[in-house]
Amino acid sequence: MLELKNVSVTYGTIRALRGVDLVAQPGQITAVLGANGAGKSSLLRAIAGIAPVSDGDVLYRNASLKPRPAHQRARMGISLAMEGRRLFRHMSVEENLLLAWSFGPRHSPFTDAVQAVYDAFPILGDRRSIKAGMLLGGQQQMLILSSVTIREPDLMLLDEPSLGLAPIIVSQIFDFITAYSKARGTAVVLAEQMAVMALRVAHWGYVLRGGQVVMHGASDELVKADIVNKLSAAYL
Amino acid sequence: MNTFRRLMGRVLGQSLLALAIVVALWFGAGLTDRGTVQLLSFLMLNILLAQSINLLTGIAGQISLGHAGFFAVGAYVAGVLTKTHGVAVPLAMVIAIAASALIGWLLAIPAGRVREIYLAMMTTGFGLLCFEIAKEWSVTGGVVGLSGIASPTLRSLQVFGWMVDTVDLFRVMLVATAIVLVLMRNFVQSHHGRSFFAVQASEIAAGSIGIARGQVKRRAYAISGAMAGLAGALYAHLVGYLGPDSFTITRSVEVLVMAIVGGMGTIIGPILGAALFTWLPERLQIFAEYQFMVYGLILMLIFLVMRRGIAGAITEPTRFIAPRAMKRRPDDAGKPVTLQAESNAPQNRPALLEVHDLGRNFAGLVALDGVSLALRPGQITALIGPNGSGKSTLVNVVSGIYDPSRGRIVLGGDDIGGEADHAIARRGLIRTFQDPRLVPCFTVRENILLGGQRHFRSSMLAAALHFPSTLREEIAMVRRAEYVMELAGLGAVADQPIESLPYGYRRLVEVGRAIMADPVVVLLDEPAAGLSEAELGRLAAMIRYLRDAGKAVLLIEHHMDFVNDIVDDVVVLDSGREIYRGHMQGMRANPAVRAAYLGVSQDCHA
Amino acid sequence: MIFAAQLVFAGICVGAVYALIALGLNLTFWATRTMNFAQGSLMMLCAVIAVGVLSGGFNIYLGLFAGLALTGIIAAATEAIAIRPIAHLTGSMGWVVTTLGVGIFLQGFVSKFFGSQALAFPSFLFSARDYVSVFGIRLSAQYMIILAIAVLLVLLFELFLKRTAWGRALQAVAADQDLAAVMGIPVRVVVTLSFIASGVLAGVAGVLVAQITGTVDAAFGFNLLISGFVAAVIGGMGSTWGALLGGIFLGIMEKLVGGYISTAAEQGIAFALLMVMLAVRPEGLLGEKEFVKV
Repeated sequence: MLELKNVSVTYGTIRALRGVDLVAQPGQITAVLGANGAGKSSLLRAIAGIAPVSDGDVLYRNASLKPRPAHQRARMGISLAMEGRRLFRHMSVEENLLLAWSFGPRHSPFTDAVQAVYDAFPILGDRRSIKAGMLLGGQQQMLILSSVTIREPDLMLLDEPSLGLAPIIVSQIFDFITAYSKARGTAVVLAEQMAVMALRVAHWGYVLRGGQVVMHGASDELVKADIVNKLSAAYL
Repeated sequence: MNTFRRLMGRVLGQSLLALAIVVALWFGAGLTDRGTVQLLSFLMLNILLAQSINLLTGIAGQISLGHAGFFAVGAYVAGVLTKTHGVAVPLAMVIAIAASALIGWLLAIPAGRVREIYLAMMTTGFGLLCFEIAKEWSVTGGVVGLSGIASPTLRSLQVFGWMVDTVDLFRVMLVATAIVLVLMRNFVQSHHGRSFFAVQASEIAAGSIGIARGQVKRRAYAISGAMAGLAGALYAHLVGYLGPDSFTITRSVEVLVMAIVGGMGTIIGPILGAALFTWLPERLQIFAEYQFMVYGLILMLIFLVMRRGIAGAITEPTRFIAPRAMKRRPDDAGKPVTLQAESNAPQNRPALLEVHDLGRNFAGLVALDGVSLALRPGQITALIGPNGSGKSTLVNVVSGIYDPSRGRIVLGGDDIGGEADHAIARRGLIRTFQDPRLVPCFTVRENILLGGQRHFRSSMLAAALHFPSTLREEIAMVRRAEYVMELAGLGAVADQPIESLPYGYRRLVEVGRAIMADPVVVLLDEPAAGLSEAELGRLAAMIRYLRDAGKAVLLIEHHMDFVNDIVDDVVVLDSGREIYRGHMQGMRANPAVRAAYLGVSQDCHA
Repeated sequence: MIFAAQLVFAGICVGAVYALIALGLNLTFWATRTMNFAQGSLMMLCAVIAVGVLSGGFNIYLGLFAGLALTGIIAAATEAIAIRPIAHLTGSMGWVVTTLGVGIFLQGFVSKFFGSQALAFPSFLFSARDYVSVFGIRLSAQYMIILAIAVLLVLLFELFLKRTAWGRALQAVAADQDLAAVMGIPVRVVVTLSFIASGVLAGVAGVLVAQITGTVDAAFGFNLLISGFVAAVIGGMGSTWGALLGGIFLGIMEKLVGGYISTAAEQGIAFALLMVMLAVRPEGLLGEKEFVKV
């Protein structure tokens, strides 16, 4: 469904990504791993259309995304949850969801869609009128994820959803992603620094370092006894 | 084209040419008709006005849309004092200049605190306010204005008992303008002028090398106000009549247009712009009719078509180092002053920087949660940690950009918690930034020279008058900058503007600037990001130089290979707390570090 | 007492118009983080066109329509030619100068082709002499209807912002352009529409002010622009109710100062309030503190 061919991202004179090849299949979770500055965010942004792609091509359903601006890609079923827990902080939980839904495909009425969100994350339902900026970290991440899923995407791009969250919440979130992707057949690209946790839920993994892919393979291959050492070496 | 520009640069830079022009005008005035002398007088005024806004907006970066206000203050003070109170003309002029300087200084206090849009609106408001006062106040004659001011046209202008006619007045204006231009050029080519540019380029970066932005802005406003006030006072005596319509927003716009079209940020630019816009309304009837529309079109298009104005198009940019300091010398480059090398091993020397239980919150978010550090001379410490662990916050608090929420920071025995960033920099704690903040139009040499800002001692007056002591200081600093450039491997591109060079160079220049400051403690924020192999080598050499010179270095980094080669000690942060301190090898195997970076729980078997 | 009450009433009405100007400035600030210095000239232009059409023998309402349509289009054009092309230039010198250029150009254009003398603006909303008496205070009918129009527009705008999808989209674009884009919001379209709306608001404000003062001349835009900006600053940039509050506060202060001290001081009060506000509480009465990450 998604293919990156030799993609490079350049911000002015800085090359954030160099010649990256990547494939993501529907119904599967593809993990993109690497330390800070390795290029994970640039990769997701390039797919979503908000990073300058200087070389190579991003193919979605075998068609190039090059001529498509970001909002069109969103309409085509690509949904990005950006790094740093970016939300509309001045708007309430429900307003954030309403906004996300309003500019999505709108296959079901809002009341049904939002109820599905509250069923999956009851705490959001309890706090539906609270401003998003006031939520705790984990709740914010749930809201971000729900803003993505309420648009019923075919391709979900998640940038470090586990950032700064307690392991138990991260578990919850990863479980949700896995269940959703399996049920809907959505392709998921999950960028994470927390490599081991990500590889547990992913089917495929790519490790980035300095903007290039240095390791990749099926996640069960990557997850072996000495993986932690290998990753340490790659990260540290 | 480039050879043409170089030639023009050489020609226009010649002092002899300028002197020749002044002499020619002096004598020419006596030989030509009165109309031309009047026109030339207006030219002098416009040059003064254009340069005054150039200093404030083009050099110090403070946009001014109400410059007519300063013009009005100078004009009316001179006019009222001489006409209504019978004060002698020279004295009145001095008072007028002082008054407009004072108004400028006062305006800088609120204006210096606001950014961009607010500043633009505030200065527009200031200009309008001055206009309204001129229009309503009885002292200034209200709408009717103030007439009968001593002037050559009425044959009433007397200075020290000597009757001044049109030509005499022009000559006075000519000399005054020439003197102001020389002073301005000296000023701009000194460390004071460079500090103005630094504030324009990045107030935060300026603070990080010890430049007090509030003080710079007040100075810029005061000097700019004084220049415009001088123009105003001369104007009062030139025309003998002052009406509020001479000080409308139109005038402010005209002054801005002259400077922008001529070329802001250069010395020659506003002169060219003033010449163009003094000549055009006189000679082109069409221009006079459509003046407003033309100004409007010019302002709309200038940034798309000729970003640097006429001066930018036809000549080389002004350089900001005293020319005489740039001449080649046969002796070798000077070495920066270093701290005494201590004899004990690094661990035993007293710490240069101590941080005790430092905490910092941002609206409920705990960014730093009790971090303690000690940085010793001749030691390089790495500070690492995953995203959001508090590394940058630590540097920002220690360098004075944020106040600590709790804890103490001790530099060389003094508690510096809560001090302003520029004060801390002046004490010798220098930092760099994640994205290099340099002055884009400065060359490599000029940017590095900025680092020495805190060591310059010359006063503004000494700089403007080009005292020998100022020159000596400049020469010494330039030599030191050359040494730093050699260290950074930048000798070949020393005189290229930094904006034309690739990213890696900017990094190296920023670190070079920090070295130039001869710091006691250096905090480097991710200096290795985006550098090539060769550049990393240079960076490592520079950091080692700092260590060997006895400085304490804190290095925030993600680039582990780079860190591995040069640091002695590693501190790892996570969620605002220290989770490991020790050697690199130990860090890799440490379970807490692995958990923080990789998400492996303590008892997990992958 | 009656005198004070009348001044306050006049201040409220004038202030409501300032609020409209502030709203227009807010719109462009939300959409592009810039402020349109041509806003004042747009206000003037609409009034001038209305007068022009009227003197051509047409209905005043046709003139108003033409004026508003034209200012909307010019505002959108300003964004396209004066703001977007130089968005990549860092610092604010760029768009301040270019939008100022548009404003000056328009002013020059009107000066040249309509003359720089003040044009009489006809009373089409009641006559200047109609009034209603409440508790012995004379309330000008013209003022009242202007107040009603201004408040209505502010209310409509607030409703639009909070209750419609496009209004929410505008809030999103103001908060975080990239995030808005990846949510499927066509940022470019939102920006252009915002500018058109701000042009229309400016036109309405200009016409209402011209109605109050009875005349319009090429230069009357700038003072209004400053007043609108001060109103926005007092109320807080980015807050609709703040714009209304700030405008009314400024209007009342101006009228009181003008009535009790002097008309000269009336001009200076806006500037003085601006200084005080920026020194004491830069985010305005209803605004939120902006946090800049280093």
